[in-house]
Amino acid sequence: MRQTMPVRLGPAEDTLIAQLNSVGASAEADRMTVAGLPTRRVESYHYTDLKTLLKTVPPLATPANQASAPALRVAGAYQLMIANGVVQGASTAPAGVIVGTTTGGVLSTRDDVLVHLNGALAREALTLTLESSVDPVIQIDRRCEGDAAHVADAVKIFVADNGSAVILETFSGSEAAHVGNHATYLALGKNAVVTHITVDLSSKASSHFASNEYSLAEGAKLRTVTIHAGAGLSRSQVFARFAGAGAHADFTGLNLVADGQHNDITIDIRHGVAHTTSQEMYKQIARGRSKAVFQGKIVVERDAQKTDAKMMMQGLMLSDEAEILSKPELEIYADDVVCGHGSTCGELDEESMFYLMSRGIPKAEAETMLVRGFIAEVLDPIEDEALNEALNGIVDGWLLGK
Amino acid sequence: MTTPILEIRNLHARIEEREILKGVNLIIPPGEVHAVMGRNGSGKSTLSYVLAGKEDYEITEGEVLLDGENLLEMDPAERAAAGLFLAFQYPIEIPGVATMTFLKAAINAQRKARGEGELSTPDFMRAVKTAGTELNVDTDMLKRPLNVGFSGGEKKRAEVLQMALLQPKMCILDETDSGLDIDALQVVSKGVNALRAANRSMLVITHYQRLLNHIVPDVVHVFSDGRIVESGDKDLALQLEAKGYADFDGAAA
Repeated sequence: MRQTMPVRLGPAEDTLIAQLNSVGASAEADRMTVAGLPTRRVESYHYTDLKTLLKTVPPLATPANQASAPALRVAGAYQLMIANGVVQGASTAPAGVIVGTTTGGVLSTRDDVLVHLNGALAREALTLTLESSVDPVIQIDRRCEGDAAHVADAVKIFVADNGSAVILETFSGSEAAHVGNHATYLALGKNAVVTHITVDLSSKASSHFASNEYSLAEGAKLRTVTIHAGAGLSRSQVFARFAGAGAHADFTGLNLVADGQHNDITIDIRHGVAHTTSQEMYKQIARGRSKAVFQGKIVVERDAQKTDAKMMMQGLMLSDEAEILSKPELEIYADDVVCGHGSTCGELDEESMFYLMSRGIPKAEAETMLVRGFIAEVLDPIEDEALNEALNGIVDGWLLGK
Repeated sequence: MTTPILEIRNLHARIEEREILKGVNLIIPPGEVHAVMGRNGSGKSTLSYVLAGKEDYEITEGEVLLDGENLLEMDPAERAAAGLFLAFQYPIEIPGVATMTFLKAAINAQRKARGEGELSTPDFMRAVKTAGTELNVDTDMLKRPLNVGFSGGEKKRAEVLQMALLQPKMCILDETDSGLDIDALQVVSKGVNALRAANRSMLVITHYQRLLNHIVPDVVHVFSDGRIVESGDKDLALQLEAKGYADFDGAAA
């Protein structure tokens, strides 16, 4: 048997081990004791060294007895709320929506510390079954409230064959230094059409971790939009598996990173069967002294002939001290596929700035216009007007330094 | 005496270590159209960029007054709000910014800078439609991202459309004829001529006489090695066309 050298554990890991033991997750506690939090030596955490970045973990959340104002209001949306891991009572669901709860974790097992922690610590999951086409936007408002808390919550969504929905998840709460660990599992039935948007708007003092897992059946169409515009430390993980021919997905996101922040979007897309397509388009904007990370992995399995996958990352640096990191990976086991990736990084174009200003548009406004232009590709496909406006509002707010 | 719309006195400008403008003097009274002709590399386009406030150039000497105001102290947006307009030789393509959105932002920014209220959407649409009809610019073109995928002619028509909407005091047209066929040249020239007015002046920069058949100048200046070396009426342009620029090289300023 191989000897494993014990790692030196820090206060965050000590707290996590105690918390895992307190809920009876001794196997997870042991794993944390042996491996600790991932460092830069773990490939998938190379740019987001949690051992260094996550210094402390607050106590496990207790049910919240007050809630802050909603982070984002979308006119006409059907609202659901999970506060400090507890699913809140909801108003009457729109036609075709069945709301429920279940216990335990929702994600498939995989070798990832955030997935392990969520699986062990999330007690209750919100379940949504969408039986047909749902008209209103479904908003799941996930909160970390009160004093600093370690919150683990989970959502499981099934969209029936031929169903369709626009699902928005917002993450917010009080100003305390929370650690949020969120999981969403979303399964699309045959020919289902779903837009899934996640927006982190939590306080700058908090750490936000989200793992979203998707499964696409035959002919399903998925669009995901991952937006970071909140927590000082964040990582959103997108795990997707194409399981039926004719399925297509657009995986998109905006990583907005301000001074003092470190935000990471990591995606792992698996084309598991023949004739599926995906387009990945991520935009990162960094200002001040900050770090934006994108890791994009596309795996084409041996049977997944005729896969067509194109990945793009574009970075925009608004300061000399900002850092934008991009790691595209293609892992292809089939021999008849079209796959590509690209990555670009630059500053606001001086010629464009001069052109706009020469028409009387002041500098700050010209910058906003160019940034809006830069991200348009990601937000323009959101057809619901109120939702599109709300998302553009988040970007404008971020640009104004809110 | 009325204040000139544009007054340039002994203007020197350099880019890095290279001096490009070497003492430009030019006075344009209200309502006049002046042409600046010169061969490629003589500094004509630099003059237009320096007047519009492009950052790359360092002004080492001289003064520029726009309707009596010191232009060189203003940033490009302030110059525009003060009434200066540069029609670019190569208009910049800006993906993701709809032309219509851009036009509205520009008009309202200038109005705001001058202490006027914003233009209402119906008034704005009416103004755009009126100006667009004259220049064969339809609304479909205005929904597209600014200058992206526009043909050479469309870009120049869009520049003149902006000029018509922004109603500047001083228009600078930098090689507006480049990239235009005869038909497009006529449309654009007609648009420019429609904007000639007693309180508006123009500086037309070109190296072909062709454009000046359509936009007939009051005064023609010959530009060589960073300064104006000769001035005359529109016949000077014809002389230039016949004899070339060589005769004017090294002429005393």
